[in-house]
Amino acid sequence: MLRSGRARAGAFAAALMAAAARPLIPAPAPLDLPDILVSRQLAQQAALREGDVVTLAADAAGSGATRFRVGGIYEPTPNPMRFTAKRIEARMHLPDLQALKANKSDPNSAESIGALNIRLVDPADVDAFATAVTDRAPGTSAGPTARAAGGSDPFAVLERFHLAVAIVTVLGSTAFLLALMVMRAEERRETIGIIRLIGVSQRSILLGVLVEGLLIATAGAAFGILVAVATQGAVNRFFQWRYDTALVFVRVTTAIALKSIALSVPLGVVAGLVGSWTLLRRDVVALIRR
Amino acid sequence: MTREPSAIVEGRDLTRLFPMPAGAVTALSHVSIRVDPGDYVAITGPSGCGKSTLLHLLGCVDYPTSGSIILEGRDVAGLGESGRSRIRLNRIGFVFQRFFLLPMLTAWENVELPQAEAGAPKAARRDRTAELLAYVGLAERRDHLPSQLSGGEMQRVAIARALANRPPLLLADEPTGELDETSGEQIADLFDRVHAGGTAIVVVTHNPAVAERAGRRLAMKSGRVVTG
Amino acid sequence: MNAWGLAWRTVARNPARAALAVSGVAVIGALLFTMLMLSRGLLVSFRALLDTAGFDVRVVSGQGSMIHREPIADASELAAAIGRLPEVERVALVRTAGAVALGGRAEIRAVDIALVGTTESAIGGVWDIVRGSPLPRDEPAGGPPPMIVSTKLAARLRLEPGSPLQIRVFLPGTASALPPTEGRVVGIGGFRFEATDDLTVSTTMKGFASAFGVVDADEADIVLAASRPGAGSAAAAAAIAALRPDLRSYSNDQVVEQFNQNAFSYFRQISVVLSSMTLAFAFLLVATLLTMSVNQRLGEVAALRALGFRRRRIAANLLCESALLVGTGGLAALPLGGALAVVLDRILRQMPGIPERLHFFVLEPQTVVLHVALLSVTGVLASVYPIWLAARLPIAATLRREIIS
Repeated sequence: MLRSGRARAGAFAAALMAAAARPLIPAPAPLDLPDILVSRQLAQQAALREGDVVTLAADAAGSGATRFRVGGIYEPTPNPMRFTAKRIEARMHLPDLQALKANKSDPNSAESIGALNIRLVDPADVDAFATAVTDRAPGTSAGPTARAAGGSDPFAVLERFHLAVAIVTVLGSTAFLLALMVMRAEERRETIGIIRLIGVSQRSILLGVLVEGLLIATAGAAFGILVAVATQGAVNRFFQWRYDTALVFVRVTTAIALKSIALSVPLGVVAGLVGSWTLLRRDVVALIRR
Repeated sequence: MTREPSAIVEGRDLTRLFPMPAGAVTALSHVSIRVDPGDYVAITGPSGCGKSTLLHLLGCVDYPTSGSIILEGRDVAGLGESGRSRIRLNRIGFVFQRFFLLPMLTAWENVELPQAEAGAPKAARRDRTAELLAYVGLAERRDHLPSQLSGGEMQRVAIARALANRPPLLLADEPTGELDETSGEQIADLFDRVHAGGTAIVVVTHNPAVAERAGRRLAMKSGRVVTG
Repeated sequence: MNAWGLAWRTVARNPARAALAVSGVAVIGALLFTMLMLSRGLLVSFRALLDTAGFDVRVVSGQGSMIHREPIADASELAAAIGRLPEVERVALVRTAGAVALGGRAEIRAVDIALVGTTESAIGGVWDIVRGSPLPRDEPAGGPPPMIVSTKLAARLRLEPGSPLQIRVFLPGTASALPPTEGRVVGIGGFRFEATDDLTVSTTMKGFASAFGVVDADEADIVLAASRPGAGSAAAAAAIAALRPDLRSYSNDQVVEQFNQNAFSYFRQISVVLSSMTLAFAFLLVATLLTMSVNQRLGEVAALRALGFRRRRIAANLLCESALLVGTGGLAALPLGGALAVVLDRILRQMPGIPERLHFFVLEPQTVVLHVALLSVTGVLASVYPIWLAARLPIAATLRREIIS
């Protein structure tokens, strides 16, 4: 993205939002008025409908006030970086925006833009292209729109945060799981002792524990995924209502489900084996003694 | 005119039904029993004849379907669970077939526990616990956990625990059921000494060595008293 | 032996099991403690950061927002009027703009910076000068505008006090042809509001205007005011609002509250969600552990009941067991949670746009109190079912079952 006048663009956006928030008086719609699109949130706030005529100005003083026709209402693409912001916005053709913001005393102001989005023939050329642009146009900055892997990308940071929380949760539940498995094994102490007494080998008992653990862990993992899938809708609905956005906050994908199973099933099996192993190491007589 | 001494516990026309999916089971049917101070009663009979059920009713551990339990002149039917607990703590000692000692407490602590629950002062508890452990011949095993005691020793500790609050009545459910013959004899000897000390005893038993030491025998069959 | 003593002996009877249960509570409790710190951490840290600037009222244009600010015209006259208010002790003007810095070295291209112009020459509240000197109190006549650069920018462009520095702002129209402004670095320091991915240059108002090719713009993006001791920021903000109703005045409390409602709300809600899940998790696990433990000891419980122990005594024992597990784990959770907070804070502070000195996790005494209270309630609730189980068990039937099994 080629960027210039970042701060000014921001100031303009504020003025636009402020101007758009002013009371609007629907008037008869001449067909030669330029069209704009307004966000759903703006349409709700200002009670706008398709076909309404609105007046936009560059600042609160009404500079460059221009009438437009609401050509349509759109749902803003959710921006995870700004999901808490109310999307009071409108879209128009670039020449209309330039005309609206132009400084009448500066003929070149109508030629000014804030940024250029460029699609390259070969996306692999992005770094070389950005360098060439900044070399040829000093004072501009160019960079790729694609997320950099790792580093300070917000989503990478949030991913690391959630991963850290998940690791802690897994550690805590592992401790509990081991405690429960040890208790379960202790409950079956006498039974295991009797089985050993009649000649069943430790290996066979461990195999039985393994199969049992596998079944229980798989059932538990599947249940957990079902609960996650069932609750993701509620979580998304709550946050979408809270922030008036179409952004999806939680999505249980196949990859995530498989990762969960890949982690929880072995954990459950190992916990069962550890719990039983502490028992099987003991003397047979000690197992059946009350 | 002599006044008849009141019974320690009296069961009048006791019936106990257990509802089962296949139909109610009559564990006890119109059984009456009276235990006076100083009595030594043995209840015998085949398995499932209702011996333990009768003991549980007398010990206020269970509720009769019909009939009444009079403990030291008072009908326990009107008592709430708290009142029944008080009775079991102070007026009845219970000895179980499986000992039911708390495995994490030493012999000393197991015997001391009911006294603490009854609110006895520390010094009194100490003296009484020492006395009881010496009484059952386990003074030198006071600091041992139940897992470090034999079956017979555990049952002796259990008897000491049952006597902790000086109950006038001791109820024992198959006290030698899990013991060998020698240990069983030792328990029977201990019961003789307890009885000689004035405590009334009702013991449910299959062990002839214990039964024949009782002053009175009740034979039961199919929920009814057939002799005694 | 009282309920605590019995509970301790019961728990200590299986040291491995107890250690695992306590570890589980400690880890989950650490997560709870961390999330509780997150719930107010940003607010507290942000408030502290705002307060270090030495100003407690911020005035912006009536249009736009705290982030997208419209310039305020006739700023010096406004500053003088605000300064005359009895509630106000001192006033500063601030302008901000995006720009690029052009380094002296040929191989270093333009570097995006945040350019700050201010009348507050001392600005000791927001800059920690490590080399050189702060901006001069009086605007120097002639010569290149003095500039303070952040240590990161200085390292990037190899700047020292006395180094030249070219600044180019983003201007539309004909003004985009203006040459860069050449300033002189007078000081290098840490800018308290600088984000991890930001580079900051601060200069005088005159220097800022010259970068825009304007001699005397007399505009400000923010007017900062420090309330007089005894007057308070709320009174100062109200007085300014009365003076200029067309502008918006915010005390630091109000700024924090605005950010709380908007920018910080996501983390607050994450904190609520994760805290709730953690508590539910802890409840389920402690309840399961206690229930299994009771189920393993039904014979003992029935025997105690037969011996005359009342239900409330049995309940007290179980409550004490729960308290021991949850209490010990909860206490261990405090240092663990503190360590976890340091790790998570380090991760989250890598987010772009977050001042480096802002912390997501802040320890307050009330956090500890809340942590203890929540875990205590959880421990009590987790023992309700096992207590019910133990208190309601049929004594005779249980004894019979234990003998048969």
